[in-house]
Amino acid sequence: MTSTSAQREEAVPASSADTPTPRERPSRAPRRGPSDLPFRFADRGLALALAAERDEPAWLRDERLAAWQAFEALPVESNQLYTPYVDLRGADLFEVRPYVTDAPAGLGDDLEGLRLPDGVHVETFGQWLERDPASFRAAIDGAAGLPADDKLAMLARGFWSHGRHVEVPAGVALEAPIVLRWRAGAPGRALVTRTFISLGEGASGSIVEEQLDSCPPVECAEGEPVPQSLFHGTTEVVLGRDASLALASVQQLGDQQVAFQHRHASIGHGASLHWALAQLGGRLVRSRVDNRLVGDHASVEQVEIVFGSGDQLFDLTSYTRHIGRDTTGNLLSKGVLLDRARSYLKGLITIEKSAVGTDSFLGEFGMNLSKAARSVAIPSLEIDQPDCRRAAHSSSVGPIDPTQLFYLESRGIPPDEARKFVVLGFLEPVVARVPLDGAREDLRRLLEEKWAAGLASPRAAAPAA
Amino acid sequence: MTTEPTTQKPTTRELVTDRRDEYAFHDDIVYLKETKRGLTRDTVEEISRFKDEPEWMLKLRLRAYDHFLKRPMPMWTDGLDKINFDNIVYYRKPSEREERSWDDVPDKIKATFEKLGIPEAERKFLAGVGAQYDSEVVYHNVREELSKIGVVFMGTDQGLKEYPEIFKEYFGTVVPAEDNKFSALNGAVWSGGSFVYVPKGVEVPLPLQAYFRINGENTGQFERTLIVVDEGAKVHYIEGCTAPIYATESLHVAVVEVVALPGSKVRYTTIQNWSNDVYNLVTKRAHAYEHATVEWIDANTGSRKTVKFPSIYLRGEGASADIISVAVAGKGQHQDTGAKAIHLAKNTTSRIVSKSVSKDGGRATYRGNLKVAPGATGVVASVRCDALMLDDQSRSDTYPYIDIQEDDTTMTHEATVGKISQDQIFYLMSRGLTENEAQNLVIQGFLEVFTKELPMEYAIEFNRLVKLEMEGSLG
Repeated sequence: MTSTSAQREEAVPASSADTPTPRERPSRAPRRGPSDLPFRFADRGLALALAAERDEPAWLRDERLAAWQAFEALPVESNQLYTPYVDLRGADLFEVRPYVTDAPAGLGDDLEGLRLPDGVHVETFGQWLERDPASFRAAIDGAAGLPADDKLAMLARGFWSHGRHVEVPAGVALEAPIVLRWRAGAPGRALVTRTFISLGEGASGSIVEEQLDSCPPVECAEGEPVPQSLFHGTTEVVLGRDASLALASVQQLGDQQVAFQHRHASIGHGASLHWALAQLGGRLVRSRVDNRLVGDHASVEQVEIVFGSGDQLFDLTSYTRHIGRDTTGNLLSKGVLLDRARSYLKGLITIEKSAVGTDSFLGEFGMNLSKAARSVAIPSLEIDQPDCRRAAHSSSVGPIDPTQLFYLESRGIPPDEARKFVVLGFLEPVVARVPLDGAREDLRRLLEEKWAAGLASPRAAAPAA
Repeated sequence: MTTEPTTQKPTTRELVTDRRDEYAFHDDIVYLKETKRGLTRDTVEEISRFKDEPEWMLKLRLRAYDHFLKRPMPMWTDGLDKINFDNIVYYRKPSEREERSWDDVPDKIKATFEKLGIPEAERKFLAGVGAQYDSEVVYHNVREELSKIGVVFMGTDQGLKEYPEIFKEYFGTVVPAEDNKFSALNGAVWSGGSFVYVPKGVEVPLPLQAYFRINGENTGQFERTLIVVDEGAKVHYIEGCTAPIYATESLHVAVVEVVALPGSKVRYTTIQNWSNDVYNLVTKRAHAYEHATVEWIDANTGSRKTVKFPSIYLRGEGASADIISVAVAGKGQHQDTGAKAIHLAKNTTSRIVSKSVSKDGGRATYRGNLKVAPGATGVVASVRCDALMLDDQSRSDTYPYIDIQEDDTTMTHEATVGKISQDQIFYLMSRGLTENEAQNLVIQGFLEVFTKELPMEYAIEFNRLVKLEMEGSLG
């Protein structure tokens, strides 16, 4: 392992005080490296079984095998910048069984009763393959929409069992948002999914993606731990010329679920994409978003919030690559951490030489509300073209602003309420951008619930240094 | 598209390089003692024997050597694999004994310093000159008043002989050999460098200065500097370097350790202007104790590749850190520089300001680390990185790491990258400046946060250097 980095180099010194109080974390499996993969179901046999038992065409079997080979060859984190901040030790998925032909309970209810304009398709990969094998193959074969250097993207490419396809043809404007609902698999299972979304020239629409706990929520006998389950999903978005898409995702998986999420967007000439991503649930969440601004005048806006408590770890990376001329990127991440929660916010803006006139901004802001919380921000820039409107990032970490509290309290608001207002107000700019009224209200309610639960938990019990 | 044929009239930029060549002199010194090319256990033992070192230092060197062999080459920055460690002379002694007065310095070496302007500088404000010629301090003139107030300023080798207690207590504690591959290399073969000790409560009235030079093709230079500033004392140390230009790679691997004891104030200023064939891989770190202040003022304009992140470990309550890092990357250069502030104690503060300019295909990278450890409450920290790119052949990267493990930290970070504003150029040109002058003025303004911290004659010199670097980069 060559996990050297600027940080490692510094972390080694004998100088005592680097971590004066080692924190105790419960039930950490012994002798596991932070970047060791926490599962082993993905092998050649599974790739072949998926192809055979689902009667897939030969090219798809070969595609799965190619993905398996790439998966085997890649490290968990291929970017040297981020190797010091990978920690998969919270996941224990060595016994999980993948889905092959069966499906988690409740999965598929999002496809019922849809009323869609002509030419719009919302379907499973199976239905897509049957309806239009050529377009399915064009989108899936070779996985051009997934980063070839990413092990976990290759996992989805090789081992997906459930797929969703959304297609909005040229010129069609969706009036109502489409809801894609994913449910985590049963305890001890691994669900690997893939979503493919394409909008034709001038098309527009909005999509709300829900990632929910398994259905019904699992109850185990008292004292017996619920086995962890894995939710792994990639979403590929292709936007044609002047298309526009708003995509909101609310992740509220259960606390024994590990989530790996990948989102990859290719944004064409004059097209615009709005992401609103909320990360609330899950025990360990590792997410990667790739925005490729391919066409001239393409734009992306990405807002993301993290609200962590307990032992949650959110490891969130976003790559924004400016390729066309006069493209715009605006990324904002906000994290609030309670208890022993951790967030690793990694963001990299790349401005290629061709990307004259770029405007790109990346903001990463954190609020630690507990002494044992830890927030890491690595907002990076790689720039080959200086002729830009803006190339900047900004980051801050701070406590609740006492003057804001003072003001609210002076208006008669009790201290606990005032704290809640300040914290939820910190996240509100992201919440406000969720495109569906119902989903937005749900998200506000979820945040309030999580805040209330956080207050109730003995978070002050964390070891104070 | 714009590949220029070599027969074309040289650009101003090339002329500038030529002009610098005039200072690329190489004296034919007879090296009295030097080791064979390449690094073996024998080389390390031989160096220690040459220097007649105590047993514990030899052991430390060998431990470092073992670690150097074990440690993999860092992969997070590129190009280091081009260094051929077998083709380097690890120790070379320019003259038999250390010189104390200017008259005793060999004429050849004196001539070199003449070109560097040392005698003139000395007539001005110099408190003492430690001129490093190759691997050993050959000339060291400590003003009488400095010794009178108890300030020690000498070569590190001499310091080890005269002040073994201080060395035993501090040497290798701030930057252990095991810290990284290059601190291990330095630990094994270090030679020369400065040793400074400032006693309790003493304020050194003038900056201490040392000039470093690499001489001799393929000579590695592995200086080691230890600065211990006792309680309530105050010192400003200035290091500036130039080097002859040779065709083959040179290697400079230095370690600088600063110990700022409670209530002290240390400023360390560097103007790095190695020739464009030097790999400059430096570990600089300070420990700041209760209410101490440490300032790194660091500029990198030369070298082929510099990897250097001056760091401050804030170990005592109320300590503060201030780092200003400036990099100019021209043709064929990669400045991989930055800063680190590691907050380990309560109510500590840090400020990092980084400014970089890249041009003619050069690459400037900011890499930083801001860490607030559990227990370090009440930390206030800020990081600001700005980069200017003068053309689209160049590259600029910003990689800050921010790791906060307390709930009441106040941390802000800002970074911007861009080109020179055409509005500013237009305005200045409308006031009668040429385009080149206008650009120079804007760049000088961009770097002013650094130059205003320099003593006046250094600021003038630095501005002149930047101007030379920038000439011909338009059009």
